Amino acid sequence: MSIFFLLLQQELLLTAIIFVLLFVKLSTKQWNSQTVLSFVNILLVVNLAAGFFFKEKGTLFGDMFQTNDLLRFEKNILNLGTLLISLQAYNWLLKHKHAIEFYLLMLSTLLGMFFMLSSSNLLMFYVGLELASIPLAALANFDLDKKRSSEAAMKYIMSSAFASGLLLFGISLIYGMVGSVNFTDIAVAASENPLFLFGFILLIAGFGFKISAVPFHLWTADVYEGAPVAVTSYLSVISKGSMLFVMTSVLSTVFANLLFQWYNIVAVLAVLSMIVGNLFAIRQQNIKRFLAFSSISQVGFILIGMSGANIESHSSVVYFVLVYLFSNLAAFAVINVISEASGKENIDDYKGLYKTNPALTWVLAIALFSLAGIPPTAGFFGKFFLLLGGASKGNYLLIIVAALNMVISLYYYLRIIKAMFMDANETPVEKLAISWSPKISMAVCMAGIVVTGIISGAYEYIYSLLK
Amino acid sequence: MEITQILFWFLSVLAVFGALMMVTSKNPVYSVLWLIVVFFAISGHYILLNAQFLAIVNIIVYAGAIMVLFLFVIMLMNLNAETEPQKNKWLKIAGVVAGCSLMLVFVAALRQSDELLKAPVSMGGETGLIKTLGKTLFTDYVLPFEISSVLFLSAMVGAVVIGKKGD
Amino acid sequence: MWSLSNIAANIDQWLNANMSPTWALIVEMVIAGVAVIGLFAALGLVLVIMERKVSAWIQIRLGPNRVGPKGMLQSLADTLKLLVKEGMTPGGADKLLFNVAPFVAMIVAMLLLAPIAFAKDFQLWDLNIGVLYISAVSSISVISILMAGWASNNKYSLLGAMRSGAQIVSYELSAGLAVLAIVVLTGSLRISDIIQAQENGWWLFKGHIPVIIAFIIFIIAVTAETNRAPFDLAEAESELTAGFHTEYSGMKFALFFLAEYVNVFIVCAIGATLFLGGWMPFHIGNWHAFNGVMDWIPSSVWFFGKTFFLIFVIMWFRWTFPRLRIDQLLNLEWKYLLPISMFNLLLVTLIAIMGWHF
Repeated sequence: MSIFFLLLQQELLLTAIIFVLLFVKLSTKQWNSQTVLSFVNILLVVNLAAGFFFKEKGTLFGDMFQTNDLLRFEKNILNLGTLLISLQAYNWLLKHKHAIEFYLLMLSTLLGMFFMLSSSNLLMFYVGLELASIPLAALANFDLDKKRSSEAAMKYIMSSAFASGLLLFGISLIYGMVGSVNFTDIAVAASENPLFLFGFILLIAGFGFKISAVPFHLWTADVYEGAPVAVTSYLSVISKGSMLFVMTSVLSTVFANLLFQWYNIVAVLAVLSMIVGNLFAIRQQNIKRFLAFSSISQVGFILIGMSGANIESHSSVVYFVLVYLFSNLAAFAVINVISEASGKENIDDYKGLYKTNPALTWVLAIALFSLAGIPPTAGFFGKFFLLLGGASKGNYLLIIVAALNMVISLYYYLRIIKAMFMDANETPVEKLAISWSPKISMAVCMAGIVVTGIISGAYEYIYSLLK
Repeated sequence: MEITQILFWFLSVLAVFGALMMVTSKNPVYSVLWLIVVFFAISGHYILLNAQFLAIVNIIVYAGAIMVLFLFVIMLMNLNAETEPQKNKWLKIAGVVAGCSLMLVFVAALRQSDELLKAPVSMGGETGLIKTLGKTLFTDYVLPFEISSVLFLSAMVGAVVIGKKGD
Repeated sequence: MWSLSNIAANIDQWLNANMSPTWALIVEMVIAGVAVIGLFAALGLVLVIMERKVSAWIQIRLGPNRVGPKGMLQSLADTLKLLVKEGMTPGGADKLLFNVAPFVAMIVAMLLLAPIAFAKDFQLWDLNIGVLYISAVSSISVISILMAGWASNNKYSLLGAMRSGAQIVSYELSAGLAVLAIVVLTGSLRISDIIQAQENGWWLFKGHIPVIIAFIIFIIAVTAETNRAPFDLAEAESELTAGFHTEYSGMKFALFFLAEYVNVFIVCAIGATLFLGGWMPFHIGNWHAFNGVMDWIPSSVWFFGKTFFLIFVIMWFRWTFPRLRIDQLLNLEWKYLLPISMFNLLLVTLIAIMGWHF
């Protein structure tokens, strides 16, 4: 019995937090929102810390649920990201009437991602995926009086429903061929049968929607732009990261027999994502749209790492998601502070930011350096390992395309940095006082960018988990 | 032909026809009604497979509840054939071409999967019955079952929050 | 002994002796169809006159008294009038849906008759999920109402249909939960099993207070589901002229009217089957003499007696309670009936698990 609790520890803790929040919301007492937010943040810290204490691995419910060191680590990464986003959203939520519901929905999606990660079964995977995406649509609508926010929610729910449809069709075809939804059975039965391949391709299309790889990326920019900043950062980091974890492990373990097929698919997706993401990012005026396209091109790089299909490339993906989490969340933290204080979200508004807010400018600059992959930051090592993982297949054309794209991406990241440091602006963002919670979040992100880059322990730790 | 075979073909033709009419109807109300026809045909298929419970639940949930809510919304918003946005002709052609290509690939894939036809899986007549279903649901599949309850809870919370726009 | 099941068995034997099994099956289906339509017509006539007489009795007046002895043939005359009247289709209406809607209502009502046991061993289709089948098919009736209301292109019709939809969808929940109480006690969804489980006493008496609560909730919920007063907001005359069938006349109106009455009959039949033992005679424990006397009464009489008693109760409601407002109606369901019936279901489950029922 105790093994049950130990294996499910992260999920059970999260469920308990969800229910505590539900009862806090339902209680007749009117809680002070500051108290509630501090309480929730403490719970999230406890949740994050508890993830590091247990090391049990095994399966439960007759192979429905599995956990091991790597999955625990991945869940801890997601927990950390959620905590950082929660800290960044503090000021926004203080004014929001439905702060508790925000956490209810966000933690439900996190729970869904946990189950999705731990699934050893297509059914569990699908249920977890739905739990991870349906409440997100409501979250995208959390700027309740803004039309753009509703539009974002609508676009998100529509495209995710379509993606689920494709995924389910793929799953049903695979189930029809194999007669089982269990990953081990599918791994054994995976063959080059046309019908199985058809189902498999539909499955990849479903994955592609969630990570917004290029032919399936059309929802990304609009949803990122319309949703509240906190939700945008959640979508671009946590939601995408969890899906990348699952996709990497599913492709390399369950469909190992079909390596040749999915290598080509993933390579094409990677090239398209990098090129289209980069080219569209150049001409964006809104900083959230800009980060949306930049995240699409980042996904392209991650897909290159994924295509390696060995332990090195797998750990490079996990490592890069960790780095990407720190860098992207640092960028979003700055955007969140500025958008919350002044409502400005255009790149032109960031001109001359250095004159008024040097600290924020440096944070954003380092984050963008890391995203661009400039050496001292962690982003460089992340991309380096990804390309190394991808190169193990010997497809150097892919690596050359990726290198070219890194140069293009450097251009548009530097464009923003130039705007902040050099360009003059008649109406710059005024000097902002930053409260403690975004400060902590930014500090953690900065530390993460530096530490995970300079100390090679992080990558080696992930590598050791995979072996 | 046996009676089950006749029923199978009848229901299949009805389902495909209903689905086509649902997509091509100009009036959204007609689309919903055709979709209900499709659900009935599919429930009929379930009954032919001796999965009565699934058939009935399909009717209760889809035809009885979800489609009624659809009708509600469509009727309250007074969506008519006139308010239906007219799509570009080229877009329509592109859609048809894409759909037909998908169909072609699917048919081709099916035709090459002969071994599927050779080895039909017999699940036994008891599989679809409510007793078996209940037992499986609460033993093997208890985890997804419970997770879906969390999913419904959060979907409900989300709907309520979105509904509270005014205040 | 003379009984409905004997007649059915004889017909079946004779057909199978003279024809191939497929043809026998087809002929039996035709006979069943004709019988159902006949029952429909008869029910329509009986229930309309019954309603008018009951209302007259409650309001201390005579009621129809010209056509036939004590006015008993009045509804026959009314039917004749409806048959020869012109069935109009308004100019702005959606012709197809407007004309299809009454038939959908009728077909749904007919489908509902399939699993009902009218007498011992006399049932069209004893499927293993009978109770669920009934709640599934009855949820379709709302579609015909919505079709009629929308196709009429009339604001009163649309409003009536909307109200009716909201009402049926919400009251279905507590009706379903009340039915589940009996399903939990019996452990089966099959109608014949449920009746058999009441051999030594009806569930209403065996199941303690929770079943009585479930019965009351069931009666309230089905009154609302059949759109009858005090829940007849869908056709509230004083507000909406006649609700969803404002624009209907002649035979199409008659079909709606008939479907409504047949629905009342069906829900009462289900109530009688689930809570009052269906065709099961009234038995008391070990009183063999009494039980023997009760067994002498044919099972069909028991069934129709119980059903018509429940119909009488529902008619009684109509002439006793004033109509609810729409918000009161929805509050009643979502704030009171639904929580109560959920809690009640828990209690019933406890009783079933502990074996506390008789």
